[in-house]
Amino acid sequence: MFDDIRVGILSAKSSIKRGNKKTLAFIIFVLALIFVNLLFLPSMIGGLMGMFTGFMQYPYGDIVVEPSGDNVYINNADNVLQKVRAVQDVTFATKRLDAGASIQYKQKVVGSSIIGILPSEEYGISNYPFIITEGEFLGDLSQDEIIIGAMLVEGYFGSEIYDNLGEIKVGSFVNVTYSNGVVRKYKVKGIMEGTFELVDLNALVHYKEIKDVFGVDEGKATSVVVRVKNPDDAAKVKEKIIAVGVKEPVFTADEKSDALMRQAMQSIGMINVVSKYVSLIIGAALILIIVYINVLNRKREIGILKAVGITPRSIVISYAFISMFYVSMGILAGLVLYFASMFYFTVNPVTFYDTITIIPEIQVGLLINSIFTMLIMSVIAVILPAWRVSKESILKAIWGR
Amino acid sequence: MTDEKTMIQIKDLTRYYKSGMGVVKALDGVSLKIEKGEFIAIMGASGSGKTTMLRILGLLDKPTKGEYTINNLNVVHLPEEERSYYRLTQLGYVFQDYALINEMSASENVYILSLMEGKSKKESISTAHEALVNVGLGDKGKRIPDQLSGGEKQRVAVARAIAKKPKILFADEPCANLDTHTSEQVLDVFKILNEKFGQTIVMVTHEAWHTKYVSRVIKLRDGKIVGDLRRRKN
Repeated sequence: MFDDIRVGILSAKSSIKRGNKKTLAFIIFVLALIFVNLLFLPSMIGGLMGMFTGFMQYPYGDIVVEPSGDNVYINNADNVLQKVRAVQDVTFATKRLDAGASIQYKQKVVGSSIIGILPSEEYGISNYPFIITEGEFLGDLSQDEIIIGAMLVEGYFGSEIYDNLGEIKVGSFVNVTYSNGVVRKYKVKGIMEGTFELVDLNALVHYKEIKDVFGVDEGKATSVVVRVKNPDDAAKVKEKIIAVGVKEPVFTADEKSDALMRQAMQSIGMINVVSKYVSLIIGAALILIIVYINVLNRKREIGILKAVGITPRSIVISYAFISMFYVSMGILAGLVLYFASMFYFTVNPVTFYDTITIIPEIQVGLLINSIFTMLIMSVIAVILPAWRVSKESILKAIWGR
Repeated sequence: MTDEKTMIQIKDLTRYYKSGMGVVKALDGVSLKIEKGEFIAIMGASGSGKTTMLRILGLLDKPTKGEYTINNLNVVHLPEEERSYYRLTQLGYVFQDYALINEMSASENVYILSLMEGKSKKESISTAHEALVNVGLGDKGKRIPDQLSGGEKQRVAVARAIAKKPKILFADEPCANLDTHTSEQVLDVFKILNEKFGQTIVMVTHEAWHTKYVSRVIKLRDGKIVGDLRRRKN
């Protein structure tokens, strides 16, 4: 076997060193495209799923605790927060108070959800502080100030679909009539744009505002929003939260996503899986074709090697080395192409409706997986044709009869 | 049973090929004994069966029927792996069209066989060099076949065949593509091998003047031996 490997390496080395360089470059280019094909679409879909997941994190974080039964509030929210924060893998947690209200600016009135937040805690929880397109985010001392969602402001993405408040500006004053009839006047401190209805049709005020309006005590909240170290482990962390004695219903963001969103995510996930397998099958077929043509082109050479006493095993090993070399070079070239395209699409993201952008996601696991898949395919693809030709009669291999 | 002098013995060797609706009798019951150290030329017109016979003797093809022994070993029914090993270690074969690997240097074309035999790379390269020196190409080991003339290629092919010091050297019209001068160079190498080292050589040729190099001429016609002449040594 050792001699077979030595002969296989010598044969492969000379074939690569002195073979046709243009053919080699073309084969490597095709293999690079196969490799990129394995990664590109999943990366884009990954980015798309990441974008949707990001949307869901505004209202629900990774995990959300809600009032039990018909209760409007979690009555002991601070106690819940204390327990949740002690759970391993929980990175941040905050309480919120939501309320239904109508917002009036000049003659225009729209219905909206007003979310009472603790501004400094939101930096670790949601993207709210980072999506302020005009003005500033709320501060812990904010009073009588409001952040308005972009879809409520004329001229912003989506505002043409929904009722809006007209050309509202930072510094404008709006009247908010809460569901209990209390009216408050707020100065618009900022406009937020998350390019998502669940964000851009809402408004944010300080937690204290809602508490005062509804006269509830400090411990009350309509939700406790939790972020975890690894969002993929949200289900496990949810179990831990329940285990530490949180009696209120606990949901992962996935569970809270509405049916349409969940279905969309599942469909995209399915497309992703199918596209991965299709790419894999196409890749395997192309590698097989490339290697097969290569082996057939060297049929006479294989016959000669056999005629002088080189074993079929050496010949197969030689082609396995050649194939692995081609594929390794293809992977290297593919990595360059892949990272170049990822860089391009990160700098110039695919954009829908001018505002929704998909930034591709580089998945290290998928990358490693694809490299190994290509290498394994290269060996599998070479064995069958090389073994077949190496088993052919010498006369047929050399002289075709 | 053959005596100790006998290198090759064939009995009733037959090779049929299917051709269209009929059968071609390429070899039709040939029997022959070749002694160690003989230099034989197999001659005959095109289609007489000489190449078929050489391929069977060189274990590149199998007879339809008949017996074939080398050094008392019946090689007809050897499994393919053993035939391959036998070709590697005991037989040398020079093809009409050189049959060199174009992407390997002259030296690599020769020393790959020693590597296969299990020799170290250093020893293999040294053996290859020695063989290339013997055919007058000691300084051209690094050249690939495309950088060599027809005669040089054929001499590399001879070097490959003799480097492992085979029991029998088969050559299938080794001078078919060469001019007279280059043919003489190749045949001189064979002659030296035969006379100096007692190498058994079986060569197919259709050139009458080649017979001056050999000790015995076997003539084939329509797959049958029609002449077996031994030359008197001068």
